[in-house]
Amino acid sequence: MAVDQQILDEAAMWAVRTSEPDFDDWASFTEWLEASAAHAEAYDRAMIAVEEGAEALSSLPANDPDWSDEDSDEGGHRSPRRWFAPALAACLALVAALWLWPAGDADTTYRTAAGETRTIELGDGSAVVLAGGTELVVDGEREARLNSGRAVFEIRHDDADPFRLAVGDATLVDAGTVFEVTIREAAVAVGVAEGAVIYEPDGPAARIDPGQVLSFDPAKGSYRMESVPVDQVGEWREGRLTFRNAPLADVADDLSRATGITYRVADAGEARSISGSVAIDPLRRDPGALGPLLGIDVQQDGDVWILGGR
Amino acid sequence: MPDSGDSPDGLEAVFPANRDKLLRFLVARGAGEDAEDILQEVWLRISRVEAGPIAAPLAYLYRAANAAMIDRYRSAKQAEQRDAAWVEGHSGVAIGVSDSPSAERVVAGRQLAARVEEALAPLPPRAVAIFRRSRIDGIAQRVIAQEFGVSISTVESDLRQVYRVLIELRERLDEV
Repeated sequence: MAVDQQILDEAAMWAVRTSEPDFDDWASFTEWLEASAAHAEAYDRAMIAVEEGAEALSSLPANDPDWSDEDSDEGGHRSPRRWFAPALAACLALVAALWLWPAGDADTTYRTAAGETRTIELGDGSAVVLAGGTELVVDGEREARLNSGRAVFEIRHDDADPFRLAVGDATLVDAGTVFEVTIREAAVAVGVAEGAVIYEPDGPAARIDPGQVLSFDPAKGSYRMESVPVDQVGEWREGRLTFRNAPLADVADDLSRATGITYRVADAGEARSISGSVAIDPLRRDPGALGPLLGIDVQQDGDVWILGGR
Repeated sequence: MPDSGDSPDGLEAVFPANRDKLLRFLVARGAGEDAEDILQEVWLRISRVEAGPIAAPLAYLYRAANAAMIDRYRSAKQAEQRDAAWVEGHSGVAIGVSDSPSAERVVAGRQLAARVEEALAPLPPRAVAIFRRSRIDGIAQRVIAQEFGVSISTVESDLRQVYRVLIELRERLDEV
């Protein structure tokens, strides 16, 4: 299929412009979109291509070239460093996110609605992916607090300056890490996919290795360790949820968070535990499809879907 | 609710006053008859968030609507890919049960990274470095211009160059 080169050029230009946080010429952008029916799709394709390209590139090391000495067409000879770190303004340039304006001080709060996911890039190359119904407060590049919900942290490790995450009164410290934290009513679960995380370095200092999940009770400070297939840590990012002997309440909670649809547990279903795996997207179209997949009864009651009534 | 209800410049006032413009934008963006629903959803989402006063409310609304459309496109595309993968490789597996697709995705991710690296190799290193600052580190063009000692328009044209290469790479990969 021949692709119109001029449209690609224009789509690239608009993708660059609209990705800037202070872009304000939306009227001209609208006019360009209206000029041809092909423009909207070209722009969408461009935005996704760039997003995927950036993601792929972020997994590769920067060659740290000495470009500053070559063809410096405007005479500048400053020597910028990659980790120059202009901190929080950095977090805002995300394209596909509905972000919040910073309140002016160092903390920035990110929230997602149920059914939404959002990636927050910390200035140092680390990133956090928020599931739906989640609130995260970021303080600089190396500290954050998860107030509610669920998130996967992909942290660039630095022995001298480890990343610290506060959850309630507990502290988690990374040791080179991809890990997921889920806050539930009864417990907080920390699963590790790569590297390791230290739970409460000043207390029990429990080390969580890849394929392990540590669950702790924020009220009592007690914890227990379980194992999990590594590829199921943060699996929701790929549009899937897997449950292994999970209480029905956790299933309802995770599904509501992922889909934006309200699932609730019937009184009669409270004691059940569930194993199975579901793709998230089809449930958005048909919330009741869950029943046969997980072998539970699903009843609709207005906007709410009740699990395990029988 | 955004803390702007009383101000004539706040979101509460700007949204109804610019509803038609936003709808026109969504239609131009390809929303078709879903434009009304999408706008409503965007507004609900914004209303649920407690934010401080917003400097440029109309631009904020446009940006939110644009982000919603990108999300929509991304989900549709992912659903398409999943369906395709299903037909190709998972015919013997019970529906809805994961047959460890993540490992395949990891491999696919590495392959894409290699293709991206190859595609960007001929570009000037400065353009790629600027792209990294912009899209991976999330730094504003204005700040990047200062860091690299070049003008903002140079930053923009470097970015366009890299975007263009990535777009072409995507077109090539999709044609296969």
